Amino acid sequence: MKTWRSRGVYAGILILVAAGLMLLSLSGFLRPAQGLALRPIEAAQGWLSSRYLAIHDSLSSPRDVATLRQQNSDLQSQVATLQREIISLREKAAQADILGALLNYARTQPENRYLATNVVGRDVSPFLRSIWIAGGSDDKVERGMPVVTESGLVGRVSEVYATMSRVQVITDPQAAVNIRLQNSRADGVTAAQPNGELRVEQINQAADVVTDELVLTSGLGGGYPPDIIVGQVLSVRRRDYELFQQAVIRPAVDFQNLEIVLVITSFHALPVAPSGS
Amino acid sequence: MAYLIGLPLLLLLAIVQSAVLSHLLLLDGRPDLVLLAVVAWALTGRWREAMGWGLAGGLMLDLLSGAPFGASSIALVLVAFLVSLTEGRFWEAHLLMPLGAMLVATAAFYAISIAALFLTGQLPDLLASLTRVVLPGLFLNLLLAIPAAQLAQALCSALFPPEVRI
Repeated sequence: MKTWRSRGVYAGILILVAAGLMLLSLSGFLRPAQGLALRPIEAAQGWLSSRYLAIHDSLSSPRDVATLRQQNSDLQSQVATLQREIISLREKAAQADILGALLNYARTQPENRYLATNVVGRDVSPFLRSIWIAGGSDDKVERGMPVVTESGLVGRVSEVYATMSRVQVITDPQAAVNIRLQNSRADGVTAAQPNGELRVEQINQAADVVTDELVLTSGLGGGYPPDIIVGQVLSVRRRDYELFQQAVIRPAVDFQNLEIVLVITSFHALPVAPSGS
Repeated sequence: MAYLIGLPLLLLLAIVQSAVLSHLLLLDGRPDLVLLAVVAWALTGRWREAMGWGLAGGLMLDLLSGAPFGASSIALVLVAFLVSLTEGRFWEAHLLMPLGAMLVATAAFYAISIAALFLTGQLPDLLASLTRVVLPGLFLNLLLAIPAAQLAQALCSALFPPEVRI
């Protein structure tokens, strides 16, 4: 009985230490120490991640098709670039119909600046969907900066340390992106489900949403720049007695195979509330 | 000695969990390597070190997570304490003991993790978390529980050989 009591006391002391650290962390006092501790971890994490991906690649594809894969990758990249140009042109034409030529003419979009960075890990908590990238405040990465690939939107930077940052991806249940459906011009907000499904909610009942329609960021709210591809409509749920209709979309980005992402460093998001609030 | 080996091991396990195991998902579940290590070490009877491992391992996990810093430590220390209570029972040496301990440990670990996320407003759906994360994670942890316990026992015997009076 005495031993059990001493165990309980010992466990209680350690739990109190952990709780104290939690309070300090929530107050922000531990951020410098966490950044310092993450420096060596980032290097090890990046090394291990790249080795794992190299082994995975070599096991999953024969060596004699390496050249073809490279060519295929180049062509896919070109196709993605052309698709992006087509989408951009279509989007501008649709905007012109709505807003008028004059307004569209006056509209200027600054050239984006990008920081390419490796994905070095994923959130160890199975309840959160985020990735760790190898760029931090040393590289001028700031909280709220959008993160994309050539396929579309990945998410945005939610925590920044000196050499690493955490990116909350759009399939995280806490993430919400203001979007616009390309053809029907309806606005909505993404709401990720815990099973990984990505829905668009708050779509106007009058909008004629169809499957395969592209979903783009709307830029509303200042959280993301406009016209980044988010995904494609898979199905639509419309009930007469509901205020809004819903759409299930397929994200444009394959989140399981992210290796390199681009941080849009020229975009500064409007102040966002802390995660979870 | 247990801390000299344990701390680098826990750091390595946390990094492997973030960099490698995140690619190997069963639904959304994955084995919790640090939890396995803490439970396995607690089963060797070295409860004081197991609780220390729990505190340190939890901090390492929380460094690589968006979860509240310290939450995993609280969960793992509590898990080590619960597992240490099996010491001295008549079924302590049973072959399936690691499975029972891992079942309780995983349930406690996830319950505290979910509660911490819930308190900070980061978890919207408990049912989906249970079916898509907790149950697959529990299955994988149970699968690895016996090998982990045997490895820990072998390591413990190598580091701390029993004294023999001649």
